[in-house]
Amino acid sequence: MKKISILLMALILLISLLSGCSALSQKDNRANTFTILSASENKEIEPIIQQFAKANHINIQMDYKGSVDIMQALKKPSGYDAVWPANSMWITMGDTKHVVKLQKSIMTSPVVFGIRKSVAQKLGFVGKNVSIKDILKAIQTKKLTFAMTSATQSNSGASAYIGFLSALLGDPQTITSAQLQNPGLRDQMRTLLSGVDRSSGSSEWLKNLYLKGHYDAMVNYESVIISTNQELTKQGREPLYVVYPQDGLSIADSPLGYVDNGNASKEGQFKKLQNYLLSDKIQRELLKYGRRTGIGGTVTNASSKVFNPNWGIDTQRVLSPIHMPSADVIRSALDLYQTGLRKPSFTVYCLDFSGSMAGGGQDQVVKAMDLLLNQNKAKSSYLQASPQDITVVIPFSDHVKAEWSVDGNSEQQLMTLDNQIKNLDADGGTDIYSPVMDGIKKLSSVDLSKYSPAVILMTDGQSNTGRTFNDLKRTWQQAGKDIPVFSITFGDASDAQLNKISDLTNAAVFDGRTDLVAAFKKAKGYN
Amino acid sequence: MRNKIIGIAILLLIIGGTFAFLVLNGKNNAKGPAPSKTVTVLKGYIGSEKEGLLSDPAIQNLLKNDFGVQLDYAKAGSIAMVEGSTKGQDFLFPSSQTALEIFKQKQPDAIAANRVEFNSPLVLYSWDTVTNALIKQGIVQERNGTDYVVDMPKLISMVNSGKKWADIGLPSLYGNVNIQSTDPTQSNSGNQFAGLLADILNNGQVVDDSTVQKVLPQIKTYFGKQGYQQTGSGDIFEQYLTTGVGAYPLIVGYENQLIEFAAQNPQKWQQVKSKMRILYPVPTVWSSHTFIALNDKAKVGLNALASTKIQNLAWTKHGFRSGDANVVNDTSKLPVSGIPSSIDQVIGVPKPSVMDTIINALKAH
Repeated sequence: MKKISILLMALILLISLLSGCSALSQKDNRANTFTILSASENKEIEPIIQQFAKANHINIQMDYKGSVDIMQALKKPSGYDAVWPANSMWITMGDTKHVVKLQKSIMTSPVVFGIRKSVAQKLGFVGKNVSIKDILKAIQTKKLTFAMTSATQSNSGASAYIGFLSALLGDPQTITSAQLQNPGLRDQMRTLLSGVDRSSGSSEWLKNLYLKGHYDAMVNYESVIISTNQELTKQGREPLYVVYPQDGLSIADSPLGYVDNGNASKEGQFKKLQNYLLSDKIQRELLKYGRRTGIGGTVTNASSKVFNPNWGIDTQRVLSPIHMPSADVIRSALDLYQTGLRKPSFTVYCLDFSGSMAGGGQDQVVKAMDLLLNQNKAKSSYLQASPQDITVVIPFSDHVKAEWSVDGNSEQQLMTLDNQIKNLDADGGTDIYSPVMDGIKKLSSVDLSKYSPAVILMTDGQSNTGRTFNDLKRTWQQAGKDIPVFSITFGDASDAQLNKISDLTNAAVFDGRTDLVAAFKKAKGYN
Repeated sequence: MRNKIIGIAILLLIIGGTFAFLVLNGKNNAKGPAPSKTVTVLKGYIGSEKEGLLSDPAIQNLLKNDFGVQLDYAKAGSIAMVEGSTKGQDFLFPSSQTALEIFKQKQPDAIAANRVEFNSPLVLYSWDTVTNALIKQGIVQERNGTDYVVDMPKLISMVNSGKKWADIGLPSLYGNVNIQSTDPTQSNSGNQFAGLLADILNNGQVVDDSTVQKVLPQIKTYFGKQGYQQTGSGDIFEQYLTTGVGAYPLIVGYENQLIEFAAQNPQKWQQVKSKMRILYPVPTVWSSHTFIALNDKAKVGLNALASTKIQNLAWTKHGFRSGDANVVNDTSKLPVSGIPSSIDQVIGVPKPSVMDTIINALKAH
């Protein structure tokens, strides 16, 4: 009997010990995870990072964000171990706390226009030096439209936009705040940006969009154009021809910097990773991904299958970028883009206020919408409305509960809308299709050369009543316009249902389960 | 009962043993350096051009083993670091005595000791094609077939004239002839370049209180046209190297940066040495890397850096000339040619109060 009791005790103690062990090792794992806050276009080369992680038994987690978000993240303690934006400018502007060190450029890629080759030929851009002014002319005469990331969310969009400004100002040595006030410049810039047929918050996603849809051109990194072309060729489709605008070029220098949180072993891991990425072997590997490596801006030993001259890729050309304006001017230029120059947004939010949203879910949606509608808050993420924007909110459950609309950026009207959302009750079942169809119908009558349209659907449940996907498909096809329906998932939302909508409408699904507010910000950044 | 006690004792042993195992195992996993004798950790700010030196394991080991000191640094611009908060810091390591003087004015009681540890002249970095074009313009000269000198007054007047690169035979370069530097209000190399520019605009006389107002408008115009500027001398050099002649035809840097790069990246140096050019401005200014101990504890760092062993490594691997003006550094020990053994034709940087006037005017811009 005694023996049994001892054995039992031993067992209990062992079990508790073992469970303690596993808790301990889990904690150990988290401390062993090396997190990198990275620009989205590095997703393509993540296999190279993970190879290193595996060989060195380090758990590396890449967190992809736009460069502007990366800049903002650096301003406060973030818990990241390293930062890897597209351009060192964002570190300079964001690292006000001096936490970034050991910063080195890993590779470079110029921001270029990729234009469907037949279109480029028609425009006379093949084999010629092309200027921003030539491109502007093509846009004014409606011979060219292009997709570009939002200048206030992503480095490629910001770089291109500043390149446009510089060219339109007649190539000054640098852009000044005073020049930004020039009304003639603003008109020309609006015209140029009216040529944007689709926007996005991420350079990598823009490639996916291009592959899904039928677009003429996009502004992106040379490296992304290369990988897009590789895919297009595989599909037997026409490749993009690279145009290096000679008066508005910029180069992403892709700096990897260590974020010093005072952890010596992490610093050791960082140095190892950086040395690995800069080693000859990996630098050659990066060339295969269409990244320029090597020193002094010259690319040697590049494969012509990757840096394909038939695609207009020119490795011999001296890439001479414009000189970026000062940090203050960049900030005001971004504000100006957001509030006055970009193509206005026509955004329809369809917000799930069914019974299951009651409590926590509802609170988070209210918080997320407050961040977008309260202009003081929106401003800190460069998501504020412009005087031409139109914002529609359709709360729904198993039926459409209301439809509210604000034209422009009146702070008072947007606050009223914000309050209307705060006062909503969550009840009833879920029909995601009816509100989205209402949204599409609203957008179908809009002149898309004047507005950038989007439906942003947020839901936490399966659609189980009312309309169906086929109803929505019919409505979308009848509209006959490129109207994206972005979705944000929460709670028990059905990824299958939402992916179907996103595939149909060339949009994207954002995961709001871990951070709903961040997902709203991201979705809005695409419009 | 006794059996029970024995049982519990055995269990406790198991628990203890397992914990010991876990702890030891955890240590092995961390692969940290074995803790040796007591090491004094000093926290402080350094100019980015010294990051290569202070992150060099050879230097770190010397500091630790011979002097029992470890420098835990964060990067900051030399001017920014002396003007900002120094709370919690043991030392500052800016790149000039101007920074030291500014600090003396801001926090006169905060300095326990200071010493010029290293010197490096301000130079220009460029590329073969650009250098050749400037030779044709009579702005750059090859001296004794070994190194290149720049007639700074002539170069500055060409920049101010608004000439484009295309005008001097470089059509593939976009924009105006320009010398890119770091932000003079934050970083030392830019700051010293502003001082040099002021002297040159003052007809080669060191600017003082009576002449500074006269040259200020031109200095403001010059930097007003610079746009985005890096805040660290190490960062601009890094980008110059990576993106090359198209993006950075001509930049301001320290002499040590080229030597350090060549010593640390022998292979890359081979690839680029026929294209890279180091140009010695005439006149130029000295950058005096000054260690400021903020407490007595930090004096050990100050002495360690002045030791012969560190000074030798700092020269041959990182290109810093001695902080002791009597020491002549031996150029035959360097991995690069084209480095003169002594730097003459040096002009003084305007005194700190004058530099302060210049910095404040540029900040207000």
